[in-house]
Amino acid sequence: MGFLDRLAQMLGLKKKDAKVLVVGLDNSGKSTILNHLKPEEAKTDIVATVGFKQEVFQTKTLQFTAFDMSGQGRYRSLWEHYYKECNGIIFVIDSSDKLRMVVAKDELDTLLQHPDIKDKRTPILFFANKMDLRDALSSVKCSQLLGLDMVKDRAWHICASNAISGEGLAEGIDWLTEQLQSMLKGK
Amino acid sequence: MTSQSTTSKDSIDATRDDGKWLSAFYDPVASLYTFSQCITLSDINADGDNKLIIADLGTGSYQMKLKVYKGTNLVSENTLIDLPTGVATFYMDQNEPRTPAVAVASGPYMYVYKNLRPYFKFTLPSLEINPLEQDVWNQVRDERIDVGVLREMLEGMRAEGTSLTVRSLRFIQLQAEDLEAFANQYKHTPLKKQTVITSLGTMKKSLAEEDAISCLVLGTESKQVYILDPEAFTVLSTMNLPSVPVFLNVSGLYDVEFRIIVACRNGNIYMLKRGTKNARSCIELNSQPVGLERMGKNIVVGCMDETLQCYTTKGKKLWTIKLPASITSMENVDHKSKGFKAVMVALSNCEVHIYKDKYLVNIIKTEDIVTGMKFGRFGREDASLIMTTKGGGLIVKILKRTAVFEEKDATAGPPVSQNIKLNVPKKTKLFVDQTMREREHCVSMHRMFQHDLYRLRLDAARSYVKALETSMNPVSTNTTEPLKLSAQVQGIGPTFKLTVNLQNTSISTASFNLLITFQFDDRLYNIHKTYIPVPMLVPGLSYAFETFVDCLSDKGISDTIKVFVLRQGRSVPIITAMISMPVSETMVVV
Repeated sequence: MGFLDRLAQMLGLKKKDAKVLVVGLDNSGKSTILNHLKPEEAKTDIVATVGFKQEVFQTKTLQFTAFDMSGQGRYRSLWEHYYKECNGIIFVIDSSDKLRMVVAKDELDTLLQHPDIKDKRTPILFFANKMDLRDALSSVKCSQLLGLDMVKDRAWHICASNAISGEGLAEGIDWLTEQLQSMLKGK
Repeated sequence: MTSQSTTSKDSIDATRDDGKWLSAFYDPVASLYTFSQCITLSDINADGDNKLIIADLGTGSYQMKLKVYKGTNLVSENTLIDLPTGVATFYMDQNEPRTPAVAVASGPYMYVYKNLRPYFKFTLPSLEINPLEQDVWNQVRDERIDVGVLREMLEGMRAEGTSLTVRSLRFIQLQAEDLEAFANQYKHTPLKKQTVITSLGTMKKSLAEEDAISCLVLGTESKQVYILDPEAFTVLSTMNLPSVPVFLNVSGLYDVEFRIIVACRNGNIYMLKRGTKNARSCIELNSQPVGLERMGKNIVVGCMDETLQCYTTKGKKLWTIKLPASITSMENVDHKSKGFKAVMVALSNCEVHIYKDKYLVNIIKTEDIVTGMKFGRFGREDASLIMTTKGGGLIVKILKRTAVFEEKDATAGPPVSQNIKLNVPKKTKLFVDQTMREREHCVSMHRMFQHDLYRLRLDAARSYVKALETSMNPVSTNTTEPLKLSAQVQGIGPTFKLTVNLQNTSISTASFNLLITFQFDDRLYNIHKTYIPVPMLVPGLSYAFETFVDCLSDKGISDTIKVFVLRQGRSVPIITAMISMPVSETMVVV
């Protein structure tokens, strides 16, 4: 970091940079969530992500670089390539897809067991997305099905969200910002 | 090459379901009673979310329904009029969005649903009616003959082996008083002879794409295979089989080249090709087929004798596997993204075995016997396995993304029995000493033993002659009176029940004029019937004669009672039985 950057940061002009990895099964709403977080003029139409996309958005104190990974079965092996460099993880769950909750749990377990994640205390934010749907599960039920109570070695938070209206997103991102800030400071 | 592989304990442990499958859903009370042929997975709303379509057999006589599941929720239910025999989805037009139609085969009809609404009912072409049968019914209509004559004529035709219409068969079954009413009710309607669909398949018409237009392939009870045009519902071609088809496997394109492999009720497998009218016999199985799958160029058949057999399309046998239990259902696994092709076999011991070629690669344990299976894309998950159980449950399992199946023979290596030690008894010092003694005194030991053996023979012969002279043995050796006697005593006293069983052991001669009598100490016992006349003894049957014996002594003394079987007019008994009486319990005076 150059001197000018550091100066700008001290003066509060330039924000700290945090890298987050956005994962979850296909069709869970990862791109839609990120799209909603982006500034108004950068918003796009959502199509199924191929491979991955890099998105940038800001909160009051942090500048986020988000890796929007594709959740399709054949691209899930790409996730682990980004584990090393991420500061936080956003795990998106389709709370109306009861059938694939076990698949989400399986993917989460593999993620948590990965050597790059296991030893780092990366905070994880869960979005129980699509809460507007009629047959959606509550965030409590989701955390139960994913076995989140067994995750004891890291900070995690789950919040119900609706990525189309943006409901619940702010709460989650605020929590993640707080976590990342304390982590980055501690460095 | 034919190999018989036995599943040893070790091999099963190696292939246990070690976390290859995720249990997504299990509902033991879904009340789905169906078979593999009546389950299909398809994107019927064209929204990328595959639905599960099940033709539920209900109880077999009512509550037959076409059910559609989206995820784990039942989204639609259509009542079916008759028992479904198969369900298939197919694209019938080029319209966008690409929503496939659902075809349900049931009785002689094919019900086609579009957007889950009844759309078309196809009726199988009716069969030719025997002209004589037609003529007889016409005569009844014109009142030239009465119902009695009609019945006689129809019965005569059936005896000759003519296949009659349903109406005639029902008529023959009726009671005499119902005949008139039945004939009057139906004689004015024209005779019709319909067949029933037994199996259903689909075949792409001219393009091999996923959403290309498909033809329906129907196998019928009248030993025919029909191929239907998807748009006009006309019969494109009809092919004949020597027996009733039960399983169809279709591959290829109708306009280019196709093969239909048909397993029939007579236990044979036939092959149909484009342009042929009659089936070519291919494989003769030694047991009835319960499932038929095609694996590339090979045919895998599950048989009723608990075997899985593989043949080439030319009919050459490649391998046979003996399964641990009988097969309830079979399903083809084709996981395209992994390039994994295998055959799943559901067994009656609540297991599902997955065979890659002839190697058992995985075993899934289930709570109940699986009767219907489907592997494919369900919801948004490519490798889902849907299973319905005998008790009406629904199980959904999802193959893990990271699961790999080892393609090796799980039963390789030396057999397990090789490692089991033989139970050879140990030799002690006593044994060694004994051998030493034998070596030293072998001559005297031999002489002594021979001498004893002579004496033993002499004693045995003497006793035998003595027994013969007094007729003391219970089995008669006399060829003119082949009899067998046995007697038992029941009870704890002072009154016992004495049962004498007498059997004539000759092949074809009956015994006459026999009687049973007893010899006993009359101070100790009192027998109620001391003389029992024996009726004619039929060879082979065992006769029981009973009498009561009272014990007179209260001092706890017991004695033997002799039972004699004699011929009337001769004083020497034929056979004798000795019964040693048990000690009597003393009379308890209350």
